[in-house]
Amino acid sequence: MATEARTLPLARPAPRGILWSLFLTLPIFIWSLLMMGFHPGAKFDLVSIIAAILTTLFMTALFFMMMRTHSTYRWRRIFFVSLGVLFPIGFIHDLVVARGTMGIPIEEMIAGRTPFCFMPIPMLILPAAFTRTLIFPGSFASATHGIAVMVGLWLALTLVMGKGWCSYACFFGGIEEGVAAIPPRARIRKLDPRLRFVPWAVLLAMVLLSLALFEPAYCMWLCPFKAVTEYVAARNLLGMVQNVIFILLFAGLVIVLPFLTKKRTQCSWFCPFGAFQSIFNKISIFEMKIDQSRCHPCLLCQNACPNLSLSKESIARGETLLSCMKCGACVDACPRQAIVWHIKGTQIAWKPERARLMFIYGAWALAIMFGGTIIANGLATILHFVV
Amino acid sequence: MKLRAILGYTAAALTLLAALLTPFLLYGLFSKGVAALPLNVDEVYSGGPKVRTIPMGAYSIDVHQPVYPHLLQSEKPFVQLDWQPVSALPPHVSDVVDINGDGQPDIRVSFDVPSDPKAPLRVNVDSLNPRYQAMQNAGKERFSRLIVRVDHEKGKAGEDVIVVRVPLTKP
Repeated sequence: MATEARTLPLARPAPRGILWSLFLTLPIFIWSLLMMGFHPGAKFDLVSIIAAILTTLFMTALFFMMMRTHSTYRWRRIFFVSLGVLFPIGFIHDLVVARGTMGIPIEEMIAGRTPFCFMPIPMLILPAAFTRTLIFPGSFASATHGIAVMVGLWLALTLVMGKGWCSYACFFGGIEEGVAAIPPRARIRKLDPRLRFVPWAVLLAMVLLSLALFEPAYCMWLCPFKAVTEYVAARNLLGMVQNVIFILLFAGLVIVLPFLTKKRTQCSWFCPFGAFQSIFNKISIFEMKIDQSRCHPCLLCQNACPNLSLSKESIARGETLLSCMKCGACVDACPRQAIVWHIKGTQIAWKPERARLMFIYGAWALAIMFGGTIIANGLATILHFVV
Repeated sequence: MKLRAILGYTAAALTLLAALLTPFLLYGLFSKGVAALPLNVDEVYSGGPKVRTIPMGAYSIDVHQPVYPHLLQSEKPFVQLDWQPVSALPPHVSDVVDINGDGQPDIRVSFDVPSDPKAPLRVNVDSLNPRYQAMQNAGKERFSRLIVRVDHEKGKAGEDVIVVRVPLTKP
């Protein structure tokens, strides 16, 4: 094992052959067809068929490029940004068709029809544990938009990806990742490393506030993505203030700061769900490791990390921080292949491509199942206007 | 070391298997597991359990258990009343309601029933029992003080319900 690790080439590996890459992509193509609903008995209209075909080809092509180039991050980013852009399009369209507005009217809350996203999950736990009460104006067991459905989905995906949720499933993070990709270089480079503790503080504050006030405090007051999904209908001054906060946070954390820093600032400095999800990196079998015998700390990986998940100290220890989202940016950036995908318990840098493949097959399969269907819905929405 | 590596690869393979099983088995299994937990949506949103129904001829009024919000919750205690089905309601409703079932009238509720389901509603509540607060021309300002038309499953045969929430005075 040790011999093989030492013989790993220092330079980036040559691209895989096209046929071998196609062979590795074939299972994902079949999976995409299955997840997009191409199975006997499925019913489609023309627009949905076109959207499903385009999504299948899109997800398969990106995976093919991952296989061919050995690179993960840049192809994943294309998917993730598409998800971030197309989710609000499909979601807002569906809301406007159903209720005529992006605002949540109080009667929809009473009827239990507020769509439940994953963000409030950490805030629901303590009130549910102490009082058996869900502090969310949704439906608990509804088959389509119920809280139990989203929690079940989140559990299954977290089991496979851990914090990888934030790179392969979150339908919000793609917006800031897309904005961060626009400028050629960062305008603000010196970032206080202590800022990475802020999401933990926000998480703690929101969990305790939610327990005290018996409402999902983050959703009510601080979620920047309310600006592009649904917001509290501004019935009074309080509602107006809430909406102004949502818009300011979105503009600051999702647009301006990612543009200036080339980082996912909302995720790195603010998101309580991201902090909560970091805990599951402890149980995830996949991780990033740094082979210190090959690492000459150039800090390219630290600069490439969109989430401040690498520090000089962590690099010296040969590992990423708990907040690592497994996006693969550091691996792609390292010129010496020192930072690698790793399966816990195995020797570092022993067949890292095997570890990458095992993670990426699972993560991409679920990205197609969850994000792929969201992309198809967004595409169908656009196509409905065009066709 | 070798054993740890074998365990690591086994766990990785099981994780991959879990990914493949997620859409067909795990997702549904976890969702059903969560749905089976003894949890309820907060009564400030749901209105609390129904305790009795007052027949009013063609329509009826469902009376819910009073809801007492938690200590720091921003809402006041209230009781929810549901008029249903909306299709059987007259254009103007003016009902005396015995909320606590003691045979004495507690409130008089009056509101118009517009034919347009999207039209805003306004309600007047006269208090005949100091336990219940009067409301004049109330709309849907707060969860504890409102009138709304709801088309949820509670309505008989999926019909709309007019929900009125009357705030309670402090005991």
